Amino acid sequence: MKILVVDDSKAMRAIVKRALSTLDRVAGATILEAVDGREALEVIQAESPDLVLSDWNMPEMTGIELLQALHEAGTVPTFGFVTSESTPEMHELAKTHGARFLVSKPFTPESLDQALAGVL
Amino acid sequence: MDAPVVELDRIASDIWTAMLGLTLEPYHDAPVFPPDQRVATGIVQITGDFEGAVTVQLAETKAREVAAIMFAMGPDEIGEEEVSDAVGELANMTGGNVKSTLCGVCQLSLPSVTSGRDYHVSVPGTAVRDRIGMTCGGELVVITMLLRQDA
Repeated sequence: MKILVVDDSKAMRAIVKRALSTLDRVAGATILEAVDGREALEVIQAESPDLVLSDWNMPEMTGIELLQALHEAGTVPTFGFVTSESTPEMHELAKTHGARFLVSKPFTPESLDQALAGVL
Repeated sequence: MDAPVVELDRIASDIWTAMLGLTLEPYHDAPVFPPDQRVATGIVQITGDFEGAVTVQLAETKAREVAAIMFAMGPDEIGEEEVSDAVGELANMTGGNVKSTLCGVCQLSLPSVTSGRDYHVSVPGTAVRDRIGMTCGGELVVITMLLRQDA
């Protein structure tokens, strides 16, 4: 399994990766990283990850713009947001564009695992 | 539109506990850093139905400790880039949760980080709506919410 973690914060990518490393559900997965939506698009095209965990608010290309681009290309991998912003409007927008879940920061490995339980 | 009550202390405590495993305690004195202390400030701006900013301030030494936890590295391995990233992410999470509490449609900026001694942070057109001090291991952490004066 390949999991792509997309966040402009290196610290947050480290935290998400560390949380994933504790979850039996994704044991042995290869973790890929991208610093924004634009780089994520390139990684997705090259590596075809099984799961994308993306921040929402990023420079160059936001998470929702990434999801829209994937949607337009017709190749949306299993996709979830991990974001500090979590309004009902964002949940609806994410769902409309094909996101499977939205995990709010701060999160715990348990809350991440709970979100993944519905999609993996 | 009146701004709803935002529980800065609860938001900050939730973030520090869940993401860092650290406990924030209430601080009952004026939340002011000594003028000779180097302080890091992370700031995110909010635009839209509510306009303002959220800042997170802490001693640089504490910021280094926070970065070490986030990166799972020793404090001696942490450079300025990691400290800036960590403080920016603290501001991003705090501001994001504040934004989620505010009603209406708002956007959150990317975080900015600065540090130094004895300086004041202001966002033109806004005023301090709430400022709280908390402590972590005896070190002061200050969270400030600024909003446009007509909010």
